[in-house]
Amino acid sequence: MDTLVEIVSPGFLQREALVGSVLVGYMCAPVGVYFVLRRMIFLGVALPQISAAGIAFAFLIYRTLVGQHQHFVPNERLLAMLGSLSWTLVGLLILAAFARHRDTVEARIGATYAIAAAATILFLALDPAAEAHMVNLLKGDILATTGPSLTLMAGVFGAIALLLLAFRKEFLLISFDRDLAVVFGKHVGLWDSLLYLMIGVTISLGVMTAGPMVTFGFLVIPPLTARIITRRMLTFSLTAAALGAITAFAGFYCAYRFDLPLGPAEVALASLVLAIVVVTRGLSRVLGRWQAA
Amino acid sequence: MPGTLLTLRDVSLGYDGRVVIEHLSFAVEYGECLALVGPNGAGKTTLLRGILGLIPVLAGQIEYGFDRSTSPPGYVPQRDTLDPIFPLTVFEVVLMGTYGRLALLRPVGRRQRQLAADCLERVGLADLANRPFWALSGGQKQRVLIARALAVEPNLLLLDEPTAGVDPGAATAIMDLLARLNRDQGLTVVLVSHHLRLVRSLVRSVLWVEDGSASKGTAEVMLAPERIMDVFGPL
Repeated sequence: MDTLVEIVSPGFLQREALVGSVLVGYMCAPVGVYFVLRRMIFLGVALPQISAAGIAFAFLIYRTLVGQHQHFVPNERLLAMLGSLSWTLVGLLILAAFARHRDTVEARIGATYAIAAAATILFLALDPAAEAHMVNLLKGDILATTGPSLTLMAGVFGAIALLLLAFRKEFLLISFDRDLAVVFGKHVGLWDSLLYLMIGVTISLGVMTAGPMVTFGFLVIPPLTARIITRRMLTFSLTAAALGAITAFAGFYCAYRFDLPLGPAEVALASLVLAIVVVTRGLSRVLGRWQAA
Repeated sequence: MPGTLLTLRDVSLGYDGRVVIEHLSFAVEYGECLALVGPNGAGKTTLLRGILGLIPVLAGQIEYGFDRSTSPPGYVPQRDTLDPIFPLTVFEVVLMGTYGRLALLRPVGRRQRQLAADCLERVGLADLANRPFWALSGGQKQRVLIARALAVEPNLLLLDEPTAGVDPGAATAIMDLLARLNRDQGLTVVLVSHHLRLVRSLVRSVLWVEDGSASKGTAEVMLAPERIMDVFGPL
């Protein structure tokens, strides 16, 4: 209890990291809802890795064309963001364009993941100035979250949340019944592009803040959990967001309390919640069938 | 409302530049009930998708007697095309039909909700509004999709195999519903169907699609037993 009081107190030293964790958990989940609904879950594996490769590439190109970059300055994060976002968007558009060829989708995404992972390491190796700090940028270091980066994240995620809410009927239509959207005269390609842009920005910010593992974890696990316990679209998205925020907070608490690595603790806790929901649902179905018999 | 709702002039349709059906010329009048029939793979669904604007016209032109942007047609797809992973209630599915006339950023309001409820009532499924869509039987799902199409407030209703995969009782109920909509409310209906016996009792005109072309005539002529026997064998 003392730990809980400590982490929610205004003077908590890692307050930015806590808020950053909760923001990543809160925002990745409703975006991840569309990964689940469009059966693009495996893209959630590859995209964070592509994002990391983009960061490494951006620094390599900067080093090659301009020169040594300074660490711990705002421009550094801007450069990382540019590399991450551009690679994520291009990767997303290419993979989404081929998504309809379902017979080879796992192979494409698996290959993309392997290529992106290898490219990340190669870009780091090719950059003579690459240091341990670069590795932190690539794997995400939420404990290094600062006030300005938190403000940026809150602003961007807030805008994305507003867009998801304002255009939820358009996103639902193009995802659920694309043909009907065309019949209604919706520009399906434009709406897809907007959705992919929001996904790309969320993943890029998530990867830079918390790393690929946590980003993928919150993109997928809270929506999968919410899908089991909800029956309507709006409650599906809201429940996923709430689960993402709550498990992020609880994971932070566990990591702080028991001195565990933060990211793995959050993902493990989210997975535990999913497991509990799956088992509970299974048991209730078995019980229902037994009672009916 | 008299007049022509839809006119095709020497239209060719296909996929990736490959022609599936060509030289189509016919018209659909207001209040008409037209069935597209023919062997498997003849191009019936291709024609329906061309009318809906889902595939581009390769040659010729399609003229509409209504403004598709402000008054889109009602469309009932084959329900297999819809993914059961979406958590949707029956009411939410029907409500989607009202999106066709809602401007950007306009939220769904009381009028749209009342319209969706009325359309569910018209198909006899008002008491299932809060049930998960995927928990319904095949025939019930089809009626929900018809309600969704009605929520568009269409001039023209287009259905792709509305009785596919449903039991005979449900198929008859669906056809009876379409007959009521056409006869009592004057809704123009165009449907693709393989259920020739049911179609014969519902429609007045038939477009027979075969070998990449089509010909239109009355149901009595186009669905004459000897013609059916030649193509499909005994019913």
